[in-house]
Amino acid sequence: MRNGLLVIGACAIALAAADRAAAQEEVYLKVTSPGLSRVIIAMAEVPSRQGTDSGAAATLLATLRRDLDETAVVGLVAQENARLVIVDPNNPTLTHQRWRAVGAQFLLDGSIAGAGNQLVLEAQLWDLTSGEVAYSRRFQGTVNLAVTMAHSLANELIHLFTGKPGPFLSRIAFVSDRSGNKELWVMRWDGSEPQQLTSHRSIALSPAWSPDGQWLAFTSFLRGSPQLFIFRPREGYLKALSSLPGVNSSPSFSPDGKLVAFAAGEGGETDIFVVPAEGGTPVRLTHTRGISTQPAWSPSGRQIVFTSSVGGSPQLYMMDAEGTNVRRLTFEDKYADEASWAPDGVAVAYTTLVEDRFQIATLDLRTGARTIIPGPGNNESPCWSPDGTVLAFVSNRTGAKQIFITDQIGRPRQITTEGNNVQPAWVALVQ
Amino acid sequence: MLRFWNDKLTACALFVAVVFGPACAHRKAVVAPEPQAGVETEKPAPEPAGGGTTTVTPEPRISAAENPEGAIQAGELPANLEEINKAGYLKDAFFDTDKADLRPDARDLLAADASWLKSHPSVKFLVEGHCDERNTEEYNLALGWRRANAVKGYLTSLGVVADRISTISYGEEKPFATCHNESCWSQNRRAHFVVTAR
Repeated sequence: MRNGLLVIGACAIALAAADRAAAQEEVYLKVTSPGLSRVIIAMAEVPSRQGTDSGAAATLLATLRRDLDETAVVGLVAQENARLVIVDPNNPTLTHQRWRAVGAQFLLDGSIAGAGNQLVLEAQLWDLTSGEVAYSRRFQGTVNLAVTMAHSLANELIHLFTGKPGPFLSRIAFVSDRSGNKELWVMRWDGSEPQQLTSHRSIALSPAWSPDGQWLAFTSFLRGSPQLFIFRPREGYLKALSSLPGVNSSPSFSPDGKLVAFAAGEGGETDIFVVPAEGGTPVRLTHTRGISTQPAWSPSGRQIVFTSSVGGSPQLYMMDAEGTNVRRLTFEDKYADEASWAPDGVAVAYTTLVEDRFQIATLDLRTGARTIIPGPGNNESPCWSPDGTVLAFVSNRTGAKQIFITDQIGRPRQITTEGNNVQPAWVALVQ
Repeated sequence: MLRFWNDKLTACALFVAVVFGPACAHRKAVVAPEPQAGVETEKPAPEPAGGGTTTVTPEPRISAAENPEGAIQAGELPANLEEINKAGYLKDAFFDTDKADLRPDARDLLAADASWLKSHPSVKFLVEGHCDERNTEEYNLALGWRRANAVKGYLTSLGVVADRISTISYGEEKPFATCHNESCWSQNRRAHFVVTAR
């Protein structure tokens, strides 16, 4: 198990919550398996004490409500049902029974307090089956962090049910031509707050995050021919990482963040290379005739999946991170490209071709079982959410190329609209 | 293990050579004859080696000596690179879907391009590899790189000095036609010439 259960941090309450999550994880994980319904949480009225910034409190609760209704893991009791529940403040057991009667499995309640520019949220999650508190946590911050506090709480609730933090503080980097050129952009996981990162007026391609969310590696034609760059979005710091002959494309960081795999090559050839993220001499890993590109480093750091046309059509291959032990992964596809490892390392999502249209597929690396996730139009560039519950991908089903997110119960949602938006890269947190 | 992979590749290449002999011969003819770097561009291209494997007949050569106008034309080129490129002295080569092999029509155009280039020996140029919008951006970038270099390889095999040729791939990033069907895609699968020095 690679589920970092202790990632929450040093807070004693949070650790206690994580321990409980570990104890209950198996039970709850079954609930979130594909095809089964989501965990249903009731959200009680959360009173604000006197002196609280009411605008900030309302923002916090609205954000929390939206977050909890937007993943495949949890959902809220429908508003019309929640209205039927009569809360008896003197009889919590009776109140819990009433929540259960409208389908709730858990109840989130708490209170908001604050003075001046401070905001304090106290939250408890009740397991309505056992009647016990499954989680409790106190968040404190300035009022301008109301949204972050809501996302942090929602993240921890998802963590409770899956063993992995939720997506609510995560960011998606992508390439958009909405400014007239292909530039790097970043947005929240739901498509809100898009922000332009580069203004090079050139062609930017294939962004990849360092695992800690500090760096983006990408390809740019900024200096004429395509070169590989590394970029620190917070500071706008940019440096060239590879100017080898060839495409210098499709970077992928090793999970320790120290190395970047990418594609380049002389004389029309394209092979996989690795270069230290701090800069240095690239080392060639593959020696194929033809095209080998799109490396994707496994979460364990031990393997790299890549695309190669060595057997004719582009197919997925896997090799050890040293370039040895190359073996073919896909056999049923006419075309297989753009592998993205699931965070748990047991599956890759990729782009395949079905009846002349590109579609997203997943390959279970334990069983070799392939699952196609069909959708209208052409669908490509899959990318897992950091918690592994949701896929981002690109589709032209509504005209221009747009980024969608889907989930395992098949609800794709378009999260970009302006221009063409491609090549999503998702990270848990930007530093 | 690396050797193992290499061996596998060699085996694979042999297999391809056996099964798809003629296609391979085309490829071979493109790559094999190294130009006598920078010495003589007027000399006919060397015969591709290995009579059994080649199906390519040497292109008719028009040297500057045989075509005096050609030599004079060099002086008549427009002064401005933009105008040279607009005039389209060099004809682009077009490709089949997902392929970087040169089609017969592309070879004919490139033979004419090679003649023009040899009669204008001071001209330097860029070969841009382009792709249609199908396939992923990264794969197309690599495919465009193959296309540009296939053209460079063929031109050098016809005696154009390699030093005069730069290559770049734009993949699917700079389409010539923007509709979403074969009528545009076929326009976008090309190696495009840009004269960079007269």
